[in-house]
Amino acid sequence: MRKADPVTTEVVRNFVISCAEDMNASLWRSAHSAVIYEGKDSAVALMDEQGNMLGQSTGVPLFIGAIDVCVNHVKDYYGDDICEGDIFVMNDSYMQGTHLHDITAIGPIFFHGELVGFGAARAHWNDIGAMDPGSVMGSMNIFQEGLRLGPTRIVSRGEPIREWYDHFRLNTRFKDATIGDLGAQIAAIRTGERRLAQLLDRIGPETYRAACHDIFEQARQLDRAAISAITDGTWSREGYLDDDGVGKEPIKVALTLTVRGEEVIVDLTGTSGPVPGSVNCGASQTESLLRLAYKTMINPDRAITGGSFETMNVVLPEDCMFNAREPAACEWYFTGLGLLADLFISCLSEAMPERSTAAHYGDSMVAGFFSVDERRGQWMSIEPTAGGWGGRADGDGESALINLVNGGFRNIPAEVMETKFPIRLEEFSIRPDSGGPGRWRGGCGVVRRYRALEDCFGAIWFERSHTPAWGLNGGGDGAGPEVTITQPDGRQESLLKMAARGLGADTVVETKTGGGGGNGDPMQRPHDEVARDVKKGFLTPKAAWRDYGVAVEADGTVDEAASLPR
Amino acid sequence: MGNNYRVAADIGGTFTDIVYQDSETGTCGAAKVLSTPENPALAVLTGISEVVGESDSIGFFVHGTTVGLNALLTRCGARVALVTNANFRDIYTIQGNDRGEIFSIRWNKPAPLAPVEHTYTLTGRMSAEGKEVDPLHLPDLDRLVDAAATEGYEAIAIALLFSFKNPEHELDAARYLQDRLPGIPIALSHRISPEWREFERISTTVMDAYLAPVVRQYLETLIEALADRLPGGGLHVMESNGGVMSAGAACETPLQTLLSGPVGGAIGGRALAAATGRANLICVDMGGTSFDASLIVDGQPSTSNETKLEGLPVQMSVVDIHVIGAGGGSIAWEEAEAMRVGPQSAGSKPGPVCYGLGGTEPTVSDANLVLGRLDGSNFAGGSMALDRSAARGALAAMGDRFGMSAEGMAQGVVDIVNSKMADAIRTITVRRGIDPRDFSLVAFGGAGPAQATALAEELRVGEVIIPVHPGAFSAWGMLQTDVRHDFKETLYGFWDRMELSRLEDAFEALAERGRDHLIAEGIAPDDISFERAIDFRYHGQEYVLTIPLADGPIDMDCVRNGFDAAYARQYGHNSPENRVEMANIRLAALGHLPRPESAPPTPLATKAARARDVYFDGVAQATQILDRNAITTDRIVHGPAIIEEATATTLLPPTWQARLTEGGNLVLTKGGAS
Repeated sequence: MRKADPVTTEVVRNFVISCAEDMNASLWRSAHSAVIYEGKDSAVALMDEQGNMLGQSTGVPLFIGAIDVCVNHVKDYYGDDICEGDIFVMNDSYMQGTHLHDITAIGPIFFHGELVGFGAARAHWNDIGAMDPGSVMGSMNIFQEGLRLGPTRIVSRGEPIREWYDHFRLNTRFKDATIGDLGAQIAAIRTGERRLAQLLDRIGPETYRAACHDIFEQARQLDRAAISAITDGTWSREGYLDDDGVGKEPIKVALTLTVRGEEVIVDLTGTSGPVPGSVNCGASQTESLLRLAYKTMINPDRAITGGSFETMNVVLPEDCMFNAREPAACEWYFTGLGLLADLFISCLSEAMPERSTAAHYGDSMVAGFFSVDERRGQWMSIEPTAGGWGGRADGDGESALINLVNGGFRNIPAEVMETKFPIRLEEFSIRPDSGGPGRWRGGCGVVRRYRALEDCFGAIWFERSHTPAWGLNGGGDGAGPEVTITQPDGRQESLLKMAARGLGADTVVETKTGGGGGNGDPMQRPHDEVARDVKKGFLTPKAAWRDYGVAVEADGTVDEAASLPR
Repeated sequence: MGNNYRVAADIGGTFTDIVYQDSETGTCGAAKVLSTPENPALAVLTGISEVVGESDSIGFFVHGTTVGLNALLTRCGARVALVTNANFRDIYTIQGNDRGEIFSIRWNKPAPLAPVEHTYTLTGRMSAEGKEVDPLHLPDLDRLVDAAATEGYEAIAIALLFSFKNPEHELDAARYLQDRLPGIPIALSHRISPEWREFERISTTVMDAYLAPVVRQYLETLIEALADRLPGGGLHVMESNGGVMSAGAACETPLQTLLSGPVGGAIGGRALAAATGRANLICVDMGGTSFDASLIVDGQPSTSNETKLEGLPVQMSVVDIHVIGAGGGSIAWEEAEAMRVGPQSAGSKPGPVCYGLGGTEPTVSDANLVLGRLDGSNFAGGSMALDRSAARGALAAMGDRFGMSAEGMAQGVVDIVNSKMADAIRTITVRRGIDPRDFSLVAFGGAGPAQATALAEELRVGEVIIPVHPGAFSAWGMLQTDVRHDFKETLYGFWDRMELSRLEDAFEALAERGRDHLIAEGIAPDDISFERAIDFRYHGQEYVLTIPLADGPIDMDCVRNGFDAAYARQYGHNSPENRVEMANIRLAALGHLPRPESAPPTPLATKAARARDVYFDGVAQATQILDRNAITTDRIVHGPAIIEEATATTLLPPTWQARLTEGGNLVLTKGGAS
């Protein structure tokens, strides 16, 4: 194929990135559900006519690469029967990887009658007719999780197919909002279509294709160069999920990573087979997560365009929880992904010591409260909780930061929570001693203590107590999560997962999230840094002595004579 | 007896632009002096003495200041102690807990301005209703009192939960500390920002405490230095919200001056919209290193109620300005056999290759010079000679690697930077559901007028306006504004349950405060007006839309319908059947300042028309070169042409034409349209 001139290529490269951003903005602007326009639980992509991803924009980093596969499913299913103005949707967990809530809409893009690409927009639908409203917690097969669709044409040559729209209405508890969200997804695809037509008016499809070809080449070349710079080798890591939300048994997750020349091979052989609970994940979302982990290590500061990730090959055993098949339940598919990412990064830590970090606290750690009352109507407060990140080769891990698979989630301020809901936030603080000790300390988790002021319901999903964030290069592990429920009469109960349960007024739920792993020998951490941690409340004097051998008062005064020398 | 002038100064990193206007005739002039970063007031004083004669007087002087912002960027503010509730010491450290870079595992939060070891907790708690849940235990503060001298605290910030509902705990704590630590200024969160969201309010309060001493000292020095020339409180400071306030008032609320620098352009845009009868403008300011874009919609600048500085949130009203790293100094570079432009800039030192100050990497300015769009001998009014052959050499060397000529490479550099700037404009228009084709593009700053028509073509904008003195337009904008103070209060509840009398009382209380402030600044009661607004959302949502209220009694139904309509404009649909919540009420108190109309500049006989070859679409074309002040109102200039003036160069490609419009502004249109 001929090369485009470098100026056109660079203009097209800026175009595909900004076009994807326009598409996502259009989705956010016209979505009806807050989970999309505020939670940004969405992703869009612009692809070439083969389905190769050119530009993408994602609200949650988790969706970094599982959209292009949907185009392939549509092409496989419909072949040449794809027409201008058509829109297809799908959500099958085994085809596209995530839970059934994530509906992907795909539209071909034509220019003067010629197929020039595809646009796609994925968004989280609040309700897809499962056994419980919103998210199911105890599902054990996919048929309990709601409406399931393979590639399905719902708009034909610009004309909505009425029976499909009716079908969606009949299968959701939030009818108008759901149809509104679908409309927003289609609007996003149309935005991409319009902007691409404007570009093609100027440069024509042939130059565009040549420029896209060059863009793929550039991304490949940058990735290949980055991988070539890594010493070849093979590394294996493993860890355990606490349980699958239904049973009590830990679940093994194993990952082997090989760097060979310009290629990265990731193999999940050794990981548990499918489990009864809903923490199974489809292959394409597993690959998407591995792309996210890859991206944190390889050229993290560059925009993602076509050609990125072609240097990575993923090997998934047939019998694997991350290669889910019917009828495995997938609602909480993201639970195991934080651990998977930590294992990936850990494998590269020997070959890429400057960039890698110790493991992070690693789970969304969701706490929810809800009820119905006369004053507020149906109310619900649900949020992931921040925790500690791993120590780096040149700095401490960050404390109280949201987990990798989430990105822009912000905590609910006490003043907002207490104004809107009958909940009082009694404490929100750094959890001392939760960061793994090390020359570079792991970040600390948080303590968040809620008091129910009226009767309500609560639900908890915390993970990573069995394999908390581990240390690196001699650094110690971070603390795992803890949740304590104190009844009004003083009875206490510790647990990490709790399906919706009634909480009487004055029940206190205290959640503690995990810290990050430490990096390097804690005995190398200078006395004054340990003293500063004590002063800041990241470390208690007791742990300063136990983990670092430093005798320090609560005000940060160090007894040098009593401390182990550096 | 000399003339009386109104003067504005826009203090930039390299240059300070001064605009002066005769209070009688409205005639404006502009000047440019080198900035003096170590003492910004010095450049202002020098600049004024250059333009205003001994016998002349200055009745009104306004400037945008970057003193507060620079103190923040260089972390040179006051040493602040923070007081929070017990069990909430870490709120300012935890922040929003969101990740600034979603693909990074190494990202760190912005460093707080008051680190956690300087945070002191106080037992005591208010509920969401403003009722005391736990009583205060003031002796907790003795730790702070005891540490103050050794730690050298220069300011204290107190931010307690729900103080916007009931300030008693904050007031008690302030009295306790004032008695024991006289002389240390105390910032109270319910005064600085009576708005919910504790992290954001803490951040705002600490920011105020951190910067107040620095800004105050600067202003007091300036008031004293100008006392002879500026009697009677004529010294004013630009505010982030687009208004001005007297220097005395700015000493009280220094935070408001924080983003006052770049706001002038947007306010100039508002004045231009009024003067030329165009309601919708995209204002773009392109200088050496950055490209700032802002919007005028229905005659008003687009504003926000919160912004971020150095990653830290500030709850205050600001004019929306979108900034990207693209300017005349943006560097062209290469990676993976691909060509990139910016965001790195050569700045003013070493600057572009053509400055001959040691720059070796080709920049946008070098490209414009090679394309013949800048005059190497008449740059900056002839004050600086540019080295065209050096610029060409750098672009030719880069072109060799891509198999392109120097001119082809130059065109490419300009095309790429234009596509990035167009995208910045898309961010504030298309991505918010605004169609740029309904707007005119106003281009200013030293480098803006050279790129304006290309941006317009990229965005399909039909009309470009190059204002009078484009290089000093931001300073001119500062002369076009009124005194303004913003007030707010969190008032949360369902709209259908809100009592009208309660709402009107709350607004009246804010208006009372606004009136007091303005009268204290010498504004006559007849010159005072108010703008009211309420933050609304549908039940269950988090983000709000701020809806302005009409003057006069509040019509609850009408306001509700207004929200539905605004929601549909923003998001493309609405839900009139859903319940609506209100979150905050906002009031701007405005004091009208008398000012003359800006008189159009008088055309002057200047250099004879000349011509040179300029590249358009890769082809050199003989192009007429005109001086802007030689264009008369009855004349239409047809492209290709270059219009030169002291502060900028306007490029008029083939198929475009230019004419003068109201106020001497230059209007560029494509084809035969006007």
